[in-house]
Amino acid sequence: VTVSDQQLPTRSSSPLPGRPEAQANLADILERVLDKGIVIAGDIQINLLDIELLTIKLRLLIASVERAREMGINWWESDPSLQNLGPGHGADDDRLERENRELRDRLERIERQLGSGDG
Amino acid sequence: MDDELDLWAARRAPRLLAQAEAQAVAVLRDALVKAARREGRDDPMPAPPDRPAAAPLPTGEIVWAYCVVRAQDAPPVEIEGVAGGRVERIEAHGLAALVGRVPAAHFTAEPLREHLNDLAWLEEVARAHEAVLQQAFAAATIVPLRLCTLYESDEGVRRMLDHERAMLIDALDRLQGLQEWGVKVIVDPERLAHAAGEASPQAATYEQELAQRTGGGAYMLRRRLERHVRERADALASDVAAAVHARLQDWAVDAVARPAQNRELSGHDGEMLLNAAYLVEAQRVDGLHALADELEDDHAHLGARIELTGPWPPFNFVEGAIG
Repeated sequence: VTVSDQQLPTRSSSPLPGRPEAQANLADILERVLDKGIVIAGDIQINLLDIELLTIKLRLLIASVERAREMGINWWESDPSLQNLGPGHGADDDRLERENRELRDRLERIERQLGSGDG
Repeated sequence: MDDELDLWAARRAPRLLAQAEAQAVAVLRDALVKAARREGRDDPMPAPPDRPAAAPLPTGEIVWAYCVVRAQDAPPVEIEGVAGGRVERIEAHGLAALVGRVPAAHFTAEPLREHLNDLAWLEEVARAHEAVLQQAFAAATIVPLRLCTLYESDEGVRRMLDHERAMLIDALDRLQGLQEWGVKVIVDPERLAHAAGEASPQAATYEQELAQRTGGGAYMLRRRLERHVRERADALASDVAAAVHARLQDWAVDAVARPAQNRELSGHDGEMLLNAAYLVEAQRVDGLHALADELEDDHAHLGARIELTGPWPPFNFVEGAIG
């Protein structure tokens, strides 16, 4: 029996009739083979959680960041592969938080100013 | 005069808000990119392009490991693996690793670093790795290894099987007869917002007030209403995700929720509320499917789609780094 990932049952609960099974979604595969699966140190030391993978992860991440942020989801802040930032990272974090707070304050001030006209 | 001020303010407001939001997003993005650059910087920053090409490319072949199985169930794998290599097995102490040969010129640390940043290359290798695991998994219990588990020789693989024997046997026992299923819940964001607004008395109050206002006052009120609905929609989204996850979990031995996927890679339309994996006994899979259909119907008013993928090898349930 030959199984290829084309035949990987990617079943939607409402499949279009007569449509061949779609090829497995790349996101489904990458989030598994890159991020999951058991990690056993081989002879060739390539740490996927190194710069390289992080670049990839960022690419995977970046487009959903804005929406996630809006929803208050910030799991990447507790993802060790994005966390192990070495010295100086705390200061940067603080700066980011401060800037965000300042922006939010500014926004509220502007809105208050605009809103005071109708009060 | 007041009205004119209101109008002037109302005209300026969208731009100011857009600017502020754009700034906030830019700051966040900069911080993430900076974090990425700094990560793992024990060795210097990404090597400069004009780095002396002193080291000659390694020659010969090295060993790519796919997964570990019990020696007695070692399944035949007939498809080509990574880099077109034949899939073989290496046995030691009752365990077998499925492996393939890959050219050292592309799979030792240095060239790998470059290749891994090439999404097309990564896709090819990832799909090949996954396809081998799928075929093995169709016939046996397997412990999937992460991409790029590489050995210089067969001897290295035997040593690994020997060192990790207890852990591997434990994992094989635990995973016997189990399958991983992926479940995604995707809704129509407009219908989600609509449902959230309908359910909120506060939103109704805003709308009544809004009907009596004009100019800048109306503009601000509308913004407040929009923000309120957005917050209610986000709360509804979390509730739906949590409820669906809880129901599906009842069918599973183990479950994990993962971050929503990036639209560019997954190509999904709508809002992905849940991206989770469930470890399910093979004989309960039909029940999982029936439940997914039922949950989809329950959330039809949100335009919900519940997508199941699987069976996957148990990638999400062999957590842990070893060695």
